[in-house]
Amino acid sequence: MKTWIAGAAMALAAMAGMAQADGHGDYPERPVMLMVSYGAGGATDFQARIVTMTAGNEDALGVPIAIVNRPGAGGRVGWNWLASEADADGYTLGAYNVPHFIAQSIEGGVSYSTDSFEPIANWGADPAVFVVGADSEFNSMEDVIAYAKENPGGLTFSGAGLFVGHHIAALQLEKAADVKMAYIPNNAGGAGAMRAVIAGEVMGGVNNLSDAFRAQNAGNVKILGIFDTERSDFLPDVPTMQEQGYDIDNASVNYRGVMVPKGTPQPIIDHLAETVPAMFDNDRVKSRMEAGGSPMRIMSRDEVIEMWAAREETLKELLAGL
Amino acid sequence: MTDLPRSQHIVASGLVAAIGIAIAWVSFTQEPAQAFVFPRLISSIFAVLAVWTFGKALMGKTKVGNGISAASMRKMLPGLIVAIVYVFWAAKFLGFYTATAIAFFVLLSLYDPAPHTAAKSWIKRIAITAGFMAVMYGLFALLLNVFTPREILF
Amino acid sequence: MDFLFYMGDVFSPINFGLLMLGTIGGLILGATPGLSPTMAVALLIPFTFQLEPQQGLILLGAAYTSTVAGGAVSAILLKIPGAPANIATTLDGHTMALKGEGAKALQLSFLASAIGGVFGVLLLIFLTPVLAQWALAFGPSHLFWLAILGVTVIGTLDSSSVVKGLLSGCIGLWLATIGFDDIMGAQRFIFHPAVSGGINVIPALIGLFAIPQVITMFTKGRSSDDAEVIGVKKHPIRLAVLEVLKRRTALAIGTITGSVIGLIPGVGGQIAGLVAYDQSRKASRESAKFGTGHSEGVIAAESANNAMVGPSLVPLLTLSIPGSPTAAVLLGGLLIHGIFPGPDLFMNYPQVAWTFIDSMLIGQILMCIFGLYVAGLAASVARVPHGVMAAVVLGLAVFGSYSVQNSMGDVYVMASLGLAMYFLERFGFSAAPLVLGLILGPIAEANFIQGSMIADATIGKTAYFFTGWLNWLLIGIVLASVGYSIWMELMHRRYTTKDDAVAKEEALS
Repeated sequence: MKTWIAGAAMALAAMAGMAQADGHGDYPERPVMLMVSYGAGGATDFQARIVTMTAGNEDALGVPIAIVNRPGAGGRVGWNWLASEADADGYTLGAYNVPHFIAQSIEGGVSYSTDSFEPIANWGADPAVFVVGADSEFNSMEDVIAYAKENPGGLTFSGAGLFVGHHIAALQLEKAADVKMAYIPNNAGGAGAMRAVIAGEVMGGVNNLSDAFRAQNAGNVKILGIFDTERSDFLPDVPTMQEQGYDIDNASVNYRGVMVPKGTPQPIIDHLAETVPAMFDNDRVKSRMEAGGSPMRIMSRDEVIEMWAAREETLKELLAGL
Repeated sequence: MTDLPRSQHIVASGLVAAIGIAIAWVSFTQEPAQAFVFPRLISSIFAVLAVWTFGKALMGKTKVGNGISAASMRKMLPGLIVAIVYVFWAAKFLGFYTATAIAFFVLLSLYDPAPHTAAKSWIKRIAITAGFMAVMYGLFALLLNVFTPREILF
Repeated sequence: MDFLFYMGDVFSPINFGLLMLGTIGGLILGATPGLSPTMAVALLIPFTFQLEPQQGLILLGAAYTSTVAGGAVSAILLKIPGAPANIATTLDGHTMALKGEGAKALQLSFLASAIGGVFGVLLLIFLTPVLAQWALAFGPSHLFWLAILGVTVIGTLDSSSVVKGLLSGCIGLWLATIGFDDIMGAQRFIFHPAVSGGINVIPALIGLFAIPQVITMFTKGRSSDDAEVIGVKKHPIRLAVLEVLKRRTALAIGTITGSVIGLIPGVGGQIAGLVAYDQSRKASRESAKFGTGHSEGVIAAESANNAMVGPSLVPLLTLSIPGSPTAAVLLGGLLIHGIFPGPDLFMNYPQVAWTFIDSMLIGQILMCIFGLYVAGLAASVARVPHGVMAAVVLGLAVFGSYSVQNSMGDVYVMASLGLAMYFLERFGFSAAPLVLGLILGPIAEANFIQGSMIADATIGKTAYFFTGWLNWLLIGIVLASVGYSIWMELMHRRYTTKDDAVAKEEALS
């Protein structure tokens, strides 16, 4: 009996040793976790669930990806955890939202920055739009700005939080039009901010294009402008802010993608950087995203590194004035 | 006998009052003030209520709560130690399933009334442990895809 | 009567099979500690990728319905509320189970759930347009007052001492402020890395209720002279039906409170059960019996939290804004099939929309039948010796709290809070008001800050928080609730001696 146990223990130890020596050749051997720093049902969560649904296929990772939500404080809770506590073993991925996490790291009070993470690939880009209630007296951005000029600090408009894409868009608008308005961050995210607009608690709001598109279809809001450099396929009739005379670029566009914590072994990063964009580029994924009204933009690891650097520069400049 | 709960009440409510005052102190000294408006409000009420309760305990006017008797303390201590070691150390260090199986089995042995001398009761304990672990594994690992820490063992 | 027209679709073999699967699976998932209905439904979403839209929604609708009811099972048998909605159920339900009336408690809870649930869905079917306006009527100032109303319930909930009840509530409110604040993003009271993300409600809930249970079982020692090996009493379903019918007041209060409060975005689902419990205690002629295993407590709490299921979907289906986290997940389930909810949902996709609603209606009834069938069996859990029970509950608590966010920190928080709660309970504090504080804290704070920001930019704080009929109504209810508590406390004091209080305490523990 004793020899049997000893034998089994030896065998186990040997196996463990082999796995160590072998390195990452067999990665991934077990399901991978993707941390989403927003609640279940939010736009990021919903899209993450769609783009990872084919992870188990042989030509993708070969193992399923399980979504784990760590919501709180506009994403800070989740990203803090990913930067400081998550295991950098390749089995813990995180979803990023740019410009959110970059703006928060510039503002301070968090333990992450762009250096804390290694991007893998980008799956979507959701511009912010300016919405007002369906029965609002505002019919263009010009009306909004005219009102804001007459009532400095008196035009209330909602968004998903402080130092997230919506807030960046709001800051850009105030700067470009040289007005002072009252930005009301909502604790219930984009959905809560949209509700505030529809219920008439605020006069307008910045929100995600995908959500605003649905709300407009439902007849609840009017969309007055897009915070992007070009019009959207979903809303060909809505002019960009630049077309309406406000010098606003695409710094607030909400890029969503996958990253890993710094310290993840390079072979694993390379493996993921190769397979993940291909996994996003799947017809089933694309049709589901399209059906849900979520604009896709697939970018490789190198493109994302570039995009992060560019965003960081723009945001530093924009937030310096605060 | 009546004196034991009273002195216990003084210690317990004293601790709560100390925590309340500490929280109030932190809330009123931390910055930014804007983010601490609500904590200041709560901690003020907290501190006042806690001091009130402490005063009542000092005067021996506490109505509810039976305190802890030495006998029940003695009985719970082994289980408490096993549980604390399990949750705060073993679960992470040994791996979730191993630690749970060990803790489960030890707790059964400590608190199950079946006689320790009979082999039958040991077989029963092992069977219950195995059954519980199978259910846990099936539910959490297979059905819900939860990846638990598996440090040195499983 | 469109919903009747599409009723037939629910009964096609595949659809009905999915409905059964969703109901039974939902009950099991709901009874698992740590899995709130939101998480359970989110876990099912990937399965619906493979299905037709209609079938996918049948699965989700049935699962949503039955996870809410399934939470009562662990609340009654193990005193682990699976979700905030089930807190009130533990107060009387678990006490009943301890007295050997577990089967009765489960039967009552399933019957009350089904009645409340069917009422809620019928409201959704017939009154959607009216309800949509109601859901929109609640702005930051109203939600703030609503949270304050919840706080005033704290003092009288499950505690023999109003001061200690309030103090427990304050501890909960303070715990809720730990971590990042939701709007400013400032760090508060982070004294240990495990709480850097704040205290998650579900692990806290598990710890605060389950761990004191475990320790209490430890204190009973290894004595085999246990005279209190509980005989599980058989309880015919017929008697349960009669009992529910007899407790009409509790049922009505539960159902109406649940469906009205459940509608309010962000707040409703979490506190509906507790508010209904509190209201029906105040209205009951036998209010002293509440907390000692009284059937009205279970009926009010469970009818309320299932009545909320239907109305909580109103904002989603009509305005396309999810009013609760679960509704947000269901929105995802609709979107992946290219279905955009909104006022014309019922015109564009009548088959999908009505079948979905019908599936919740039939799901309620199936859930009830299935629940009643297993109630007797499940109740025998109470016969498990407490040595085994302590180990099972501890194991479930650890796994359940870990699985919420795959986080060891949550397990530490769960265990520490639970340990502290055991000792607090021995000195007259109680868990229910503490949890209520934990839930309401962020709601009160965030809405106060948002309201103040809007008010400062427009009409000023006083006008914003103190004018308008809805504000007045809510403030009125708050004052009435406080007044009632004070009056009860004074009345109570006149004839309660210390011995009475101790006796009641003994009966509870």
